[in-house]
Amino acid sequence: MSQRVTFTVNGYERTVELEGWERLIDVLRETLSLTGTKRGCDDASCGACVVVIDGEAKKSCVYPAKKIDGKEVLTIEGMADGMTLHPIQQALIDSGAVQCGYCIPGIVMELYALFNKKPDASEEEVVDALSLHLCRCTGYEAILEGALLARERMAAASVK
Amino acid sequence: MKFKYVGKSIPRPDAVNKATGKVRFLDDIRIPGMLHAAFLRPEYAHAKILSIDTSGAETMPGVRKVVTGKDISFRYGDNIMDRIPLAINKVRYIGEPVAAVVAETLHQARQAVKKIKAEYEPLPVYVDARDALKEGAALIHEESGEFDHLPGLEPVAGTNIANRYVLEKGDVEKGFGEADVILEGEFNYPFGSCAALEPHGSVAWFHEDGSIETWSSSICPFIVREDLARVYGLPISKVRVHIPEVGGCFGYKSDVTIEQTVAYVASFVPGHPVKWVATRKEDLLSTLIGHGIRTIMKIGAKKDGTLTAMKTTLLHSTGAAVDTGIHVLIASTHNSTGAYEFPNCYLEGISVYTNTPPVGAYRGYGHQESQFATERMMDLLARKLEMDPFELREKNYLGPGKFTSLGEKLWKTNGDVKKCAGIVREIVFSKPKAVNEDDKYYYGRGFAALMKSPKGAPFSSKGCYLKFNVDGSVTINMGGAEVGQGLRTVVSQVAAEVLKIAPERISVYTEIDTQFSPWEWQTIGSMFTIQGGRAVIRAAEKAIDKLKGIASQALRVDVDMLEYGGDYIFLRSDPSVRVSVPDVARGYTYDDGVTIGEVVQTTADARLPRYSNPDKKGMGTMGVTYTFGAQACEIRIEKETGKIFIDHFVSCFDVGRVINPKQIRGQVAGGVMMAIGATLYEELKFKEDGKAVNPHFSKYGFPTIKEAPGKQTIEFVETPGEIGPFGARGIGEHPVIGVAPSILNAIYDATGIDFYDIPITEDKMKKALAEKKD
Ligand code: FES
Ligand code: FES
Repeated sequence: MSQRVTFTVNGYERTVELEGWERLIDVLRETLSLTGTKRGCDDASCGACVVVIDGEAKKSCVYPAKKIDGKEVLTIEGMADGMTLHPIQQALIDSGAVQCGYCIPGIVMELYALFNKKPDASEEEVVDALSLHLCRCTGYEAILEGALLARERMAAASVK
Repeated sequence: MKFKYVGKSIPRPDAVNKATGKVRFLDDIRIPGMLHAAFLRPEYAHAKILSIDTSGAETMPGVRKVVTGKDISFRYGDNIMDRIPLAINKVRYIGEPVAAVVAETLHQARQAVKKIKAEYEPLPVYVDARDALKEGAALIHEESGEFDHLPGLEPVAGTNIANRYVLEKGDVEKGFGEADVILEGEFNYPFGSCAALEPHGSVAWFHEDGSIETWSSSICPFIVREDLARVYGLPISKVRVHIPEVGGCFGYKSDVTIEQTVAYVASFVPGHPVKWVATRKEDLLSTLIGHGIRTIMKIGAKKDGTLTAMKTTLLHSTGAAVDTGIHVLIASTHNSTGAYEFPNCYLEGISVYTNTPPVGAYRGYGHQESQFATERMMDLLARKLEMDPFELREKNYLGPGKFTSLGEKLWKTNGDVKKCAGIVREIVFSKPKAVNEDDKYYYGRGFAALMKSPKGAPFSSKGCYLKFNVDGSVTINMGGAEVGQGLRTVVSQVAAEVLKIAPERISVYTEIDTQFSPWEWQTIGSMFTIQGGRAVIRAAEKAIDKLKGIASQALRVDVDMLEYGGDYIFLRSDPSVRVSVPDVARGYTYDDGVTIGEVVQTTADARLPRYSNPDKKGMGTMGVTYTFGAQACEIRIEKETGKIFIDHFVSCFDVGRVINPKQIRGQVAGGVMMAIGATLYEELKFKEDGKAVNPHFSKYGFPTIKEAPGKQTIEFVETPGEIGPFGARGIGEHPVIGVAPSILNAIYDATGIDFYDIPITEDKMKKALAEKKD
């Protein structure tokens, strides 16, 4: 039974037909070809697929696509402003957090949701948010450093 | 020597496109007309296949083809041809592909797989090499002994022994005779997964013109190409392999793993690309897994701590195919002597077929498994000798003039383990421990030294193609797979240094395509910087020679009067007589249009010098490049829960030359974390019947940021090596080697409890603490 949902992705309105079984990640990656959102696991435990839905970081691999109707979705593709990267992206690059890069889109989106809700999130809160994301390459050190650097830069520029 | 670009934290050229999510990983590939595959996996880890009924699947929506293994007539394998793309009459491990559905969408393929009905007759299952070796054990491969294999491998027909490697150095019995103290121990490094965040996958496309095109998240495009060409009877040139961005490898995407399976399935739907990407469960059970090595070690020493002999037996539960695991065990066996000189050795490694997923490369390539034993044994031996463990180690470290187990003589240029150990010791052990315990915690410190040999092959070259563009910028193309380790940055820095131009003017290849990329054996063994860097230097020097040659004609002067300066080629005695690089980059054109010289583009390659196959005694040269190091930790164990906190982890390696400080720190920090995972949390568990207990991330024990060490101190010694660019040595795998023993040595220091196997989970620690109390 097909069903239709209308929602915005990175500011643009999209309408897609669903069969019903789809998760949001399937719609983003397969229907809309927004392949920046990554899949790393099959039991909602790696965080690679995190996107921002109405301001909240959500795992798109378990988010039923049916429920996306009327919502506002932000993905990694919506983060840079033309040639200017979002400060979170830039900070992760500057701290050396990008190795293979597979975990990075999910982490950027997680931090985006966090810092928008709480620009002065404590280090503990940053660690809590990052603990929902697995990274095999970095040992997390540079990721934390990049997250804190982003918090600092965003506060200084009061970026949204 | 002063460097302009080497030794600087130049930003990664690929970071921006990764941070925007725009780089293309395997699963991001979209080709018009692409079909999708899904696989049926068995219900038993060892069983005869009685029947497979595919009729229900064939009529499902979107299904184009259902494929089983019944008509397969070929085998494959890099080292020993014991691999098949789909199960034929039997299944041998729980993740094995039994049948495949090709459909228009992945969802359709998966739905149809559920309709395949397979019937099995279960056979005895062996998860552990010790069981597979028992008298009368059922054979996992009845045909073992008949498989084609590389020279020097020795499968024992009629048993589950796939290979026995023996290394004899000196006279081990005489060595033990000279010993005052003999110590024995048994250690186990259980199964684990490299578990890169990106699951492995492949796309295969049989074109109607007879050629094959494939994509894989592999680090071995040229091996995949050769193997596919052999199987399908094509000239190698008719197989084209692309490697997109790879989301982490750590070993298990090497050799030929899933590519043959996807290609076999795709061969039934010629004209259509077929994609398959592992689910996480499949990535954990149906690609390659790691470790599974049990080390039984005996060491003899004199009263003063001089080591006299080592005997080790390594039992490897290598899985249902040993092809890729065989060399892991060989490396594990001859490196079981660790960072020490043993004059007499008998080192034996037995690769055994088991009903578990095939073991392959895992960052560290056998070193951490056997040196886990060695470094625990050094602490235990020191205790027995009532000697300071640092002094015991110091007395026996390998170094200039000493011989490795392989009989290879070491030189100063092989690096300085003593210096690394000294630095680590100073950081962690220079002051006495503040407290041994308080109300809540036990406190401990532990140390391990380490050594890693390269893993090459006699022909293990890396190629480089370098081209000067007409504006004086440079394009470099190579066949090394970037998996996150940062080789593109290294290439640009090394080239910039030699060519005397800024790295921003050098563009380094992104994806690999065997149609265009220079040949490379495979990107393994922590060797890209060493060999690839040397190839870059060679290509760059050739290019400079060409530029000078053309300039000598343009300036009408002998070539040896000229200097190359990056922007210009000029007369040494009068730099104002010069020609710009762009003016000679594609030959020099006179005012009348007549052009002389050639386009400045060069190729070069580099291999490990004098790398040899092992001789009859298992000895040989590894190509003169070793990396030594030392690691230590300060830990805290919560009394109530048994939880282990790594407060401080310290590593020091003699890397010869640091090319990029930020990148090398990232490599080490990540490696240490990965091995902390193996030491405290991770294990891929199988029940006695071979079924997987925890093939998902939520149960596997993958560590998060909360398990990261409180602090990592990472230091480097720079004793230049002979081969690598500017003296650099390999570092990719080394950070994992000393982690487990240093933590287990620290656990003893904290609690007086000796462990011999990992992981030391919270529960295990808690239980051991309770037992100790009783
Ligand atoms: S893909 Fe791993 S949490 Fe969604
Ligand atoms: S950078 Fe590779 S998984 Fe995080």
